[in-house]
Amino acid sequence: MATRADVIEDFGHVSRTVGTVFRYLLLAATLFGIVALAVLLIYVANDAIQPLTADPGWHLTFFLTLVVPTLAVGGYLLRTDPASARFGAAVVGLLAVSTMFAGGAAMIFVDIVEPVTWFGYVLALTLALAAVVVIERFDRRLPFLARFAAAGAAIVGSLAVIPGFVQSLPVYPTDGIMLTLALGAPVALAVGRYAAAGAGRRGTALSVLTGVAVVGSGAVLGPLLAIGAVPATVLLSVAVVPTAGYAAGTVRRNADRRPGLAFTGVVLGGTILGAVAVDALGFAGPQSWVDWGFLTSAHSGTAADAGLYPAIGGSILLMATVAALSFPLGVGAAVYLEEYAPDNRFTRFIDVNISNLAGVPSVVYGLLGLGVFVTYLGQPTGTVLIGGATLALLILPIVIISAREALRSVPDEMRQASYGMGATRWQTIKNVVLPRAFPGILTGTILALGRAIGETAPLIMIGAPNVLFSLPTGLSSKVSAMPLQVYAWASLFASEPFYQAAVPAGVVVLLIVLLSMNSVAIVLRNKYQNQQ
Amino acid sequence: MSTDDLQRDLTRRTENAPQELLTRSFFFLCAVLSIVTTVAIIVMLTTEAAKFFSLTAPLMGVEGPTASLVDFLTGTEWIINNEQFGVLPLVSATLAITLGSAVVAIPLGVATAIYLSEYASPSAQRVLKPALEVLAGVPTVVYGFFAVVYITPALRTIVPGLGTFNMLSASIVVGIMIIPMVASISEDAMSAVPDSLRQAGYGMGATKFDVSVGIVVPASLSGIFSSFILALSRAIGETMAVTVAAGSQANLLNPLNPVDYLEGALPMTAAMVNLLTGDVTGGGVAYRSLFAIGLTLFVITLVMNVISDVVAQRYREEY
Repeated sequence: MATRADVIEDFGHVSRTVGTVFRYLLLAATLFGIVALAVLLIYVANDAIQPLTADPGWHLTFFLTLVVPTLAVGGYLLRTDPASARFGAAVVGLLAVSTMFAGGAAMIFVDIVEPVTWFGYVLALTLALAAVVVIERFDRRLPFLARFAAAGAAIVGSLAVIPGFVQSLPVYPTDGIMLTLALGAPVALAVGRYAAAGAGRRGTALSVLTGVAVVGSGAVLGPLLAIGAVPATVLLSVAVVPTAGYAAGTVRRNADRRPGLAFTGVVLGGTILGAVAVDALGFAGPQSWVDWGFLTSAHSGTAADAGLYPAIGGSILLMATVAALSFPLGVGAAVYLEEYAPDNRFTRFIDVNISNLAGVPSVVYGLLGLGVFVTYLGQPTGTVLIGGATLALLILPIVIISAREALRSVPDEMRQASYGMGATRWQTIKNVVLPRAFPGILTGTILALGRAIGETAPLIMIGAPNVLFSLPTGLSSKVSAMPLQVYAWASLFASEPFYQAAVPAGVVVLLIVLLSMNSVAIVLRNKYQNQQ
Repeated sequence: MSTDDLQRDLTRRTENAPQELLTRSFFFLCAVLSIVTTVAIIVMLTTEAAKFFSLTAPLMGVEGPTASLVDFLTGTEWIINNEQFGVLPLVSATLAITLGSAVVAIPLGVATAIYLSEYASPSAQRVLKPALEVLAGVPTVVYGFFAVVYITPALRTIVPGLGTFNMLSASIVVGIMIIPMVASISEDAMSAVPDSLRQAGYGMGATKFDVSVGIVVPASLSGIFSSFILALSRAIGETMAVTVAAGSQANLLNPLNPVDYLEGALPMTAAMVNLLTGDVTGGGVAYRSLFAIGLTLFVITLVMNVISDVVAQRYREEY
């Protein structure tokens, strides 16, 4: 009996040491990369912003006005009412991200696209769309090709004639008014409909009009406050109106989230109060390299004067080109593969081909751009158009793969129901499949654009200049980009001052843009997953 | 509406109506664009590279200096100004980067995958997965800057003889960059292992450690290997981090000798960037050498991607 007891004893003893050690080793390995990157990011942020150079009084003031109240209100809300706390934080985040995008948009309207041109094109598109609606309503029994040709003619004709006509007018409204009509009004229309959803016609009209009025007030007050009419209207229509509309709409539908606005108020109020107090008490802020001068000046041979302005503008234009090219082409390919393609050898070949293209190094895409666009098609090197086209080809496989995933997640019952009601295939795709898959497609596209905005090698390959002193003005002008400028500073101007000042500042700006794009995508994805 | 109209409306065939045809052909063209891209890459790389080699240049009708294929593949000197195009130093540097990054990324990536699939709670997964995605999302030129400015000085406290530009810190940042790739593909493979296998292990009295190492990892080995190959192919094609961090001296290295990592070298991708940021004018022999390296790179990564696909497909354990 004694031996058996030993055996049982032996079974009862399982050493937990190995398992525990293994578990913590795994955790350490998982955290290694994340912690390493976090440390590097702290270093680079410290080099770029230099928070320790600020007056201790500056830190103390902001600690008292911003950090303490935010922590107090946030902590209280998180414990009593987490949904409101999340809502308040979302409003703050939306305001921060949209203000950043508003800065980019303001840059476009100040230096690249004149408000008159924009106004002309928006007017032309509006009239063309109105014409298309009239043609569609006119008579359904008209043959499709005739209607299609008429609609196409209306769009092309209006785009060809009206912008030129508007620009040739001897007298036109001020920039502020034109932007209010051509940028503020469409935004207000979308935001107002969201904010007043379910409130009936009058409520919607009222909230849209409020939005337009707010943007319009920027056109009037902007010059008086020395901001300028154009930046003021852009800021109001891209950042303030959407954020306010989101907050108002959410509070109207879920009244119990109202306390969340207290959090938003504390953050905004604390920031403003802190800024006023610091100014009044004369405390100096940190000597940050990321400052207004860095964001608005061009490259310079001395690190302290070097700025990122042309590179930021170039990146914005490149992203617009890439999005315009890769979104329709990528979604189109995904729709074909998911909705139309028969299961045959050719489809499988396209399938394998796309996944292989996703693994081709980015320099090779750069060579493709260089060889095809520059050598064979004879385009000038380094322009916005070929840079955008090359980057679009680079991210196309990623867009296609993520769009296919989004299309695949649309349940088949919805398609069957649509066919059952007599819809054709295209009607089903247009009215059922695409709207349902749209958030997923958008998320994938934003993530892919985030990849494109950080790419440098293809731009070097197509001959984008390392140093550019002015903003690109159109599709055929030379372009620089943020990562390219950072590369130029880090390698061609490799010296201690650039490593200490310009490069960290450029890296911080680039990472802020990237992280905010990624966070938009992640928030969209979470919202979309919760809805399903 | 008369019955005739109704009849026509109910029985019309929509498959080939103009609207349907138009949209379908547009979508088809979008899908075909991917094939056009591949064909364009292959045709362009091979024709331009053919103009570079003296063996094939006459066929392309190219006059002027060329390089011999044998010298290209076996030469040990890469000096553009002397028109010495030996690709071996570049290949050795690329191999060194690949090997160095594999040493960093493979153990960490596999450990991350095991932790995420076997140990992490769902809430920990929700935090860790996006954080790992950020690792892969940081632009590679930023990693290169990190390597030169922060990692190299930090490593110098341990390894005093380290040059400003060196392969060691370049390999480390490339390794960190590809951790998420190894981790996410391996984790997918591990999550696909059916729970019944794990339950059987526990039923035999195995501990969680035994189940993870003895059952889950062997069962998902094909996925893990395919993740290695994909991640290494990414490391081979990695450009900006190595261009900034590895220097521009084309040295012939021995990738297996750790001492060689202390100095700089010129991987293939960095050589391509250096060719273009230097004074290369279009059409010269140096310009064409660009396409010869590009072709080498494209073939290597393509073969690795195909192998990874085959490994994942053929050696998958079906449950």
